[in-house]
Amino acid sequence: MDKKSAVVETGTATERARSVEEMLRAPAAAPLAPLPLEVLVPEAKQQTPAVRQRVTRPDGRLHGLGQTKYIDDFYMPGMLYAKVKRAGIASARIISIDTKEAEAMPGVVAVITGRDVPCNSFGPSLKDQPVLADTRVFYSGDGVAAVAAVTEQIATEALEKIKVEYEPLTPVLDPLLSLQLETPGVHAPNPNVYWHKVIKKGDVERGFAESYRVFEGTFRTQMVEHVPLEPHSSLATWDANGRVTIYSTLGRITLGRADLSRTLGIPMSRIRIIATVVGGNFGGKNEITTEPIVALLAKKTGRPVKCTFTRPEEFTSSTTRHPLIMEYKTGVSKQGKLLARQIRLVLDGGAYCSWSETTLGKACILSAGPYEIENLHAEAFVVYTNKTMTGAMRGFGAPQVCFAYESHMDDIAKALGIDPLEIRLMNTLKEGSLSPTSQVLHSVVVADTLKQAAERFGWNGNGSKS
Amino acid sequence: MKAFDFVAARDARHAVALLAERTPTAKVKVLAGGTDLLADLKFAPTAHAPDVVIDISRATELKHISMTDEGLRIGALVTHTEIMASPIIRELFPALVDAAHTIGAVQTRNLGTLGGNLVTAVPSVDSGPTLVALDARVTLLGSGGQRQMPLAEFFVGPRKTALKADELLTEILIPKESVGKPTHFLKFGLRKGQALALVNVAASTWVDWDKQTFVAPRVALGAVAPKVIHATSAETFLEGRAITPDAMAEAGRLAVGDAKPISDFRASADYRRDLIAVLTRRALEAAFELARRRKS
Amino acid sequence: MTKVTLTVNGEARSASVPPEMTLLRLLREEFNLTGSKLGCDVGDCGACTVLVDGKAVNSCLMLAGQADGRDVVTIEGLATMERLHPIQKAFEEKGSLQCGFCGPGVIMSAKALLDENPDPSEEEIRDALAGNLCRCTGYTKMIEAIQAAARVEDARPTAKSA
Repeated sequence: MDKKSAVVETGTATERARSVEEMLRAPAAAPLAPLPLEVLVPEAKQQTPAVRQRVTRPDGRLHGLGQTKYIDDFYMPGMLYAKVKRAGIASARIISIDTKEAEAMPGVVAVITGRDVPCNSFGPSLKDQPVLADTRVFYSGDGVAAVAAVTEQIATEALEKIKVEYEPLTPVLDPLLSLQLETPGVHAPNPNVYWHKVIKKGDVERGFAESYRVFEGTFRTQMVEHVPLEPHSSLATWDANGRVTIYSTLGRITLGRADLSRTLGIPMSRIRIIATVVGGNFGGKNEITTEPIVALLAKKTGRPVKCTFTRPEEFTSSTTRHPLIMEYKTGVSKQGKLLARQIRLVLDGGAYCSWSETTLGKACILSAGPYEIENLHAEAFVVYTNKTMTGAMRGFGAPQVCFAYESHMDDIAKALGIDPLEIRLMNTLKEGSLSPTSQVLHSVVVADTLKQAAERFGWNGNGSKS
Repeated sequence: MKAFDFVAARDARHAVALLAERTPTAKVKVLAGGTDLLADLKFAPTAHAPDVVIDISRATELKHISMTDEGLRIGALVTHTEIMASPIIRELFPALVDAAHTIGAVQTRNLGTLGGNLVTAVPSVDSGPTLVALDARVTLLGSGGQRQMPLAEFFVGPRKTALKADELLTEILIPKESVGKPTHFLKFGLRKGQALALVNVAASTWVDWDKQTFVAPRVALGAVAPKVIHATSAETFLEGRAITPDAMAEAGRLAVGDAKPISDFRASADYRRDLIAVLTRRALEAAFELARRRKS
Repeated sequence: MTKVTLTVNGEARSASVPPEMTLLRLLREEFNLTGSKLGCDVGDCGACTVLVDGKAVNSCLMLAGQADGRDVVTIEGLATMERLHPIQKAFEEKGSLQCGFCGPGVIMSAKALLDENPDPSEEEIRDALAGNLCRCTGYTKMIEAIQAAARVEDARPTAKSA
């Protein structure tokens, strides 16, 4: 590392910029490209120059120095700390919320409840989620009140002083039970099934009739929490012209501004969201959580307010991956060709919709697997339960159905005495194949990938490795 | 955490005096390494929070590891890292090193103390079974003086010990009859590190080389009862019996009957029973193997 | 209030803090050393790892008062104004960090390891990192970086960091 002085006055702009970059504390950045830029549009399957290039991540420098600022590393003069009181009960009617004792605590500056939220509902598709539960609690992690105090500890203790009177209701915890019409609606009068998709192709009944054998299997996956190392965090501060700036771990800025505009009842033009480097998202930071809360508390107190989730809150009150119950029925020819497939998916949709619509769609479209199936009927339901919200998590429904259709394929291969690799090669999608929703597929490399993978890990056929 | 009075004790006697003074009128907790106490307090409701925390981490006289005529004396403030590094423990009690190694991770072991681990007394306490298998005794210092008892009796139930309000655990003694006794410890957790044990087993035995029989065999089980227990049926069966693979396997089966495992989100009682049988057999095999290596 | 005086990254620092304040919050909130992170606050994730008297500890499980008189090194104490610590350099070159949140804790654990064991096996590296959770990377490039850093001869910083 050469010890150039900080001020570099000689040389071209490019040379000066490069020596500033070499300084230790400046994060590395991609070298300036000479203008005009040549625009390269590669052909499908063409090896582009960028692939296989070794590039140093620009943010690695500051990360390793411990200099990267995450939201919880921000402190502002006069800043207050907010904490949210969690219901701790899966389903209940809220009879009353008494915040007087909390408000009187030394060090507590403000307390808000659902009543203080101008429009107490938001959501990426269905606007069924409250900022703070007002009359009903739909899952144990629901927030029912929030406190802003001079220290995090005082805010946490103040939560205990907030008295909430609940009328407990019977929670619905089993998605299959929720699916049945007789079960009382979680969000009555709205039905428990809050989204539904069907994909039909060909004629499954005829396909089954023509099949040599029909296989059935039910597969289940569990709820998964993202566990980003960095907990959710947001910090709100208002300026003199009625505009709010929110620093947040949120990954979708415009969606956040739209949700804040709705919940706070102010135009989007008055809302600025600044998201910096995030300490892990994986889909779990794809929607607002405490942003409207800190905005309201900052407005009420006239001071910046920061709220950071505790690790337990990450588990109880942030979104998770949908558990799926997947029922597969597949008809095959004697040689192992898939002739017909019928699928029913039930997604445990938790207390609020969140990203369930997208997850449902993806799961449904991908549920057939990367295989040519002439006759297909895939039907998917997402249902409310009184459990932690299920939302976006890397894959959005794809991993769950992959587990199902690949396990199912292995079961079929075993029963027919066919090599699991061979049965797949027999059935994979090809160049020009139609997806279940009739999209014409290009750059289809399923068979090539399988063959190369099998070769690389020494697949010797029928479950044996060399 | 909720605010508390923090008092740094100069030494063990000072700590005991502080306990005697404050416990009648306040909720008092003793702080050593903090890896159990502070972790528990972080999210505890304020009703459970202590008023006073007495820090004993500066009582350096509790940091000894010394061999005497009575046996091996280990001060309560010896950390798990120090146990793993101690030449005398590595040579004479490798099972204690193994047990310490299963606790948490490097960071936990650098702060966490043997005394603290025993006093927290969760049913799955990792340092417990090996010491119980070695017939270890603990010394308790209170305002009324000092007393000693077998570690097996010190554990009373889940998170409950025989410690009185004004008492401090000051020392663990491995009696001279157990010094160098071939012992092996096995922990089964859902991960290799930072995991609670589903089953802990420690097996310890002397060998009569002429008769090729077990002498003073001990099998201690953890995480499968409200506290660490002796698998007494297995021990009785093994005493004086010929050392054979069948005997060790049978001891494993008998140990299952001595345990009372529960089903929880980590594992079913049935699975734990399977583990007890297999791990007991393996621990006995390893202890015997150690005995053979030392003999030659 | 408890008066705490300790050495942080080679400098004497002191503060008057509530007794229940942890070493982690002392570092972050009193001394503005926000490199050590709060990931769980109960000693499970290791994002708060610092060195106290040369040993890697979870600073969230130590009271500030217990650090009185001790020598603490945080991530901010590794690099000098002239050079990165070899572990930091290796992490950058190998691409060992993605979101970076676990980074400071991992690097401190790695430093504690190499200070004591300059030529660790892969198993020993894995053991040293067992108390540092990472959700992004899968650890492989961290292990490669630590092996590379171990091969660098001058693994101790020569000048004080700014």
